[in-house]
Amino acid sequence: MKKILTTVFIAAVSLINAQNLKLIVNNYSTTFDFHGTLSAHNFGGGCYPYVTTNSPAMVVVPADSNMSNGNELVYANFKDQYLNSLYPNASWVVQLSATTQTVRAWNHASIAPGGVISANTKWSSSQFQMYYAGTSTPEPSFSGLIGEPQDPCTGASSNISTLYGDVEWFNITTGNVDYSYLQIY
Amino acid sequence: MKKLLLSAAFAVLTLASCSNESSAVNTVESMKTPQMENFDKAFKSLGDPQNRPTEEEKKRNTSELSDRRKALLVPASKELILSTGITEAELMRKTGGDISQIIVWATQIYMKKSEGIRKNIKAEN
Repeated sequence: MKKILTTVFIAAVSLINAQNLKLIVNNYSTTFDFHGTLSAHNFGGGCYPYVTTNSPAMVVVPADSNMSNGNELVYANFKDQYLNSLYPNASWVVQLSATTQTVRAWNHASIAPGGVISANTKWSSSQFQMYYAGTSTPEPSFSGLIGEPQDPCTGASSNISTLYGDVEWFNITTGNVDYSYLQIY
Repeated sequence: MKKLLLSAAFAVLTLASCSNESSAVNTVESMKTPQMENFDKAFKSLGDPQNRPTEEEKKRNTSELSDRRKALLVPASKELILSTGITEAELMRKTGGDISQIIVWATQIYMKKSEGIRKNIKAEN
């Protein structure tokens, strides 16, 4: 009986957490390419699971790639991004605790939508470095950790302003829908 | 002779216009509806100096876009929703006028339309 109740409880929690999430990156800068990790983690107590792009670790969204020309990055979840996004990420680093880390392919069952890891993570942050468009020359002053503010798991800021451009992270949420935007101007 | 030259010129013009047409049509940008373009512009406008987050907005404990900045997205969002044949009354009934719901609904329509355009382009190529 206890087992059944536990199962029902876990199912209920998973349902509550079954959110409609998306991460959208709009690079409006015409001078700089965006190179950055994209991470999601648990916001419901503790930081794990903690999931980060792995191949490539730094996703590149070139200068002037945004909704205006249809070249924005859209990740719906860890799996479908590989099939539908213009910037597919073939595998993810999955941390279940501070000491356990596994690399999972985009189609691994454990990170599929509706699974425990997917249901308990939300897009959180990006460690990024801007590069002069089309080159391997970084602009050292245009980099940082952008993401959800007041997040002890990352320590990210939601606004970064530099002489070279600005980056912001914001959300638009309603009900179980939560869209996270990373915009570079 | 003159006739022949004329028809040759005409043929060249026709061919040129045809090739221009396909190159113009085959981008996501060119296949967007005016409502989608306005939705794009609204998101881009969040980066305009007067629309950037104020110091007060930056100090908030949340990353939720402020109501002031959400309001910048609402006209284009409404326009996009109405362009699908939904009436103003339906829009108000479904969202209760909640600006977040209006923007999210418009975003979902936008993404579906973008996906449709991408699929069309793939099918054409």
